[in-house]
Amino acid sequence: MQQRSPNGGGGLQSPRSPSSQPPFLSVSVSDPAKMGNGVQAYISYKVTTKTNFPEYQGPEKIVIRRYTDFVWLCDRLFEKYKGIFIPPLPEKNTVEKFRFSAEFIEMRRQALDTFVNRIASHHELQQSEDLRTFLQADEQTMERARSQDTGIFKKKPSDLMQIFRDVQSKVTDVVLGKEKPVEESNPEYEKLKRYIFELEDHLAEAQKHAYRLVKRHRELGQSLGDFGKAVKLLGACEGDALGTAFSELGAKSEMLSVKLQREAHHLLMNFEEPLKDYVRAVESIKGTIAERANAFRQQSELAEMIKLKEIDLNKLRLLRSEKMLDAEHEYEELKADGEEATKRFETIVRLMNEEIVRFQDQKTRDMGQAFHEFAKGQARLANAIADAWRSLIPKLDSLSVS
Amino acid sequence: MFKLRSSKKHFRRESTPPNQASFAHLYISDKSNRPDPREISSVYRSSSALKQRFFTLHTFIKFRPNLYTRHPIPAKIMITTQRSPTGGGGLQSPRSPSSQPPFLSVSVTDPAKMGNGVQAYISYKVITKTNLPEYQGSEKIVIRRYTDFVWLRDRLFEKYKGIFIPPLPEKSTVEKFRFSAEFIEMRRQALDTFVNRIALHHELQQSEDLRTFLEADEQTMERARSQDTGILKKKPYDLMQIFRGVQSKVTDVVLGKEKPVEESNPEYEKFKKYIFELEDHLAEAQKHAYRLVKRHRELGQSLADFGKAIKLLGACEGDALGTAFSELGAKSEMLSIKLQREAHHLLMNFEEPLKDYVRAVQSIKGTIAERANAFRQQCELAETIKLKEIDLNKMRLIRSEKLFDAEHEYEELKANGQEATRRFETIVRLMNDEIVHFQEQKTQDMGRAFHEFAKGQARLANAIADAWRSLLPKLDSLSVS
Repeated sequence: MQQRSPNGGGGLQSPRSPSSQPPFLSVSVSDPAKMGNGVQAYISYKVTTKTNFPEYQGPEKIVIRRYTDFVWLCDRLFEKYKGIFIPPLPEKNTVEKFRFSAEFIEMRRQALDTFVNRIASHHELQQSEDLRTFLQADEQTMERARSQDTGIFKKKPSDLMQIFRDVQSKVTDVVLGKEKPVEESNPEYEKLKRYIFELEDHLAEAQKHAYRLVKRHRELGQSLGDFGKAVKLLGACEGDALGTAFSELGAKSEMLSVKLQREAHHLLMNFEEPLKDYVRAVESIKGTIAERANAFRQQSELAEMIKLKEIDLNKLRLLRSEKMLDAEHEYEELKADGEEATKRFETIVRLMNEEIVRFQDQKTRDMGQAFHEFAKGQARLANAIADAWRSLIPKLDSLSVS
Repeated sequence: MFKLRSSKKHFRRESTPPNQASFAHLYISDKSNRPDPREISSVYRSSSALKQRFFTLHTFIKFRPNLYTRHPIPAKIMITTQRSPTGGGGLQSPRSPSSQPPFLSVSVTDPAKMGNGVQAYISYKVITKTNLPEYQGSEKIVIRRYTDFVWLRDRLFEKYKGIFIPPLPEKSTVEKFRFSAEFIEMRRQALDTFVNRIALHHELQQSEDLRTFLEADEQTMERARSQDTGILKKKPYDLMQIFRGVQSKVTDVVLGKEKPVEESNPEYEKFKKYIFELEDHLAEAQKHAYRLVKRHRELGQSLADFGKAIKLLGACEGDALGTAFSELGAKSEMLSIKLQREAHHLLMNFEEPLKDYVRAVQSIKGTIAERANAFRQQCELAETIKLKEIDLNKMRLIRSEKLFDAEHEYEELKANGQEATRRFETIVRLMNDEIVHFQEQKTQDMGRAFHEFAKGQARLANAIADAWRSLLPKLDSLSVS
């Protein structure tokens, strides 16, 4: 487990763990099971935690969780750890008939497992109390926590996207006569934002075509299988050398059809899913970008208000108004809020800087691996196809010169 | 003398773009009659099957006498390997000058769209080169359309019962497909093959209708065509109907009809059963072969789209990752082209031969129907003759005045009976030869088609494997960075 820490060293930040064993937190999401019936049906997962963290109840714990529990955890972390790129969740699936297909369930289980493990490996996020609740609480507590958060204060990422779009709609505001909204003037950061937005478009496009590639492999495999069957029947009808040639051709076709279907599945799991994961990660980063913009705006607004309040205060001092005392009190409060807002913003900036570096490294590795899997799988399949057909050529040769 | 011009230097590798003409064939150049350069540069689309045949036939000493060939080009050099019932070579033309072996060489080229709207059709240039005395000259060019070929086929079917008439490509009913370049080219090739098979057949090549088709001006041709519509000649599908009638034994028994007469020839029964079974399985295989072509195209298209998207991704990223993306995208686009080429190669050199085989089997079914028809006529006449004989004897006994007429009718019937028997036996004799030849030719054609299939697929797969493997070292370095 690659733990990242700001000190650059390894290990979890847990001073009280026994020095005989390095601290560890290991989670797995397994055993999807269908619960309930009809429209209420859903999939539940077994979440197994093994740890020696003192904060945790014991060395091993197994709980049952469903998709909305993971969503709850994601939202809570997003709310509490602004500046950190929260690991992405797989999408909620809206196509009814696909919801319980074996492939979909397996892909979702993998993605959820990755999600929790990334949190458990993150030196900040792993200390979250919400994570502990998620990993240990009994089902009723979990359900209560989940329903409490619906509709109350917490902004969901979609709301933040809206805020972000507001911040970005400078032109519109200028046209409508509003003031230019405040934005950081940080060229490095501008570059990152532009990169993230461009990346999202291109990634989504690439992922869409990667999925189509998977589909085409399946279709080609299916057609090759049908073809093989038909040619074998032809071979049974003919006799002698020709019939044998037909039958062997048919058998090879059927064999290759199976290989194609396998490669389609391999492509899906080891290439298309990583691409999709990358897309989700970029969307999560956009959420963090929105948070940062929000914090910056709050800080700027407060700074403005403090300036105006200072002017007011000086006026009141000159007039020796009786409101001066209250005004001074408000001023002090504002200054405290201002410092708080500044601290929040600066924390986000600091965290994001580290996150960006980590993201670039991780992405290069993940994408490199995904493309490696792609090229390897394709080459392996192609070689198998070439060998199969070449093995037939001598026999077919003898037919055409007979 | 004829000079066989070797075109080895024009031999191209398998990745010949489909619309690039090439000279990868032999043709006979008669010094006294220089071929029109325009027609040389025209529409002989080469295919790797053709090239393979070229190398096989270049040492045509080894090449067995052959009645039909799939591709027209070999036909041209096979002047000395015409099949004849006597087993020798040469055309059956006693009057041809002994200095030059007789030859009849035809090509169908230069499809051109004529007319507009719903009346529009494609015309083809049919070029005949021959030294046969029955023909008007050493070279003739006429313009023919699809319905002219249909006319020729129907005439031959009517006149040469017992012979497997070479099949025609289908009439295309899908309007928008009718003038696509691919369809036109496939049809042109099939028509070229059709005429050449006729020109190579030792019986069919002597047909007067063939001469009309190859030489008559357009008005004569049109007149001949319209004369035959609706008159006596039964079209092959009419014969199919008769044949189905013959085959529906069970139905007739159920309906209380007499059992229709059928030959009791076990060998022939076996052959008929084989032909019917073959037709079903072939049609199925051909359908799936066509789907395979389609899937290759679709995979190629998706790979191209994917490559483009990945390249854009690479431009957006930087450094090693961006380079890796870009190279992956470039490889994808390159392989997409190879896939499209292989799809075309599959279509031309595999799916079309299969379709040709299907058509040939359907044509054979027509001949089977003709034989059944001739057999039935013979049997019916035999029955009629027997009854007439009984009648005749009766009349002789009672010394009827109708005796003379009856004797006359009886003699006529016997003559008809002999005629019917002769017709039937001719069909049987011809069919026996045809069946042997069909089996051989089919084995060769199918062997070649499947050879092309396996070769093309292997070639494509190796190219794909190489392309992806060449990327692996670079991708390796990414994932361990």
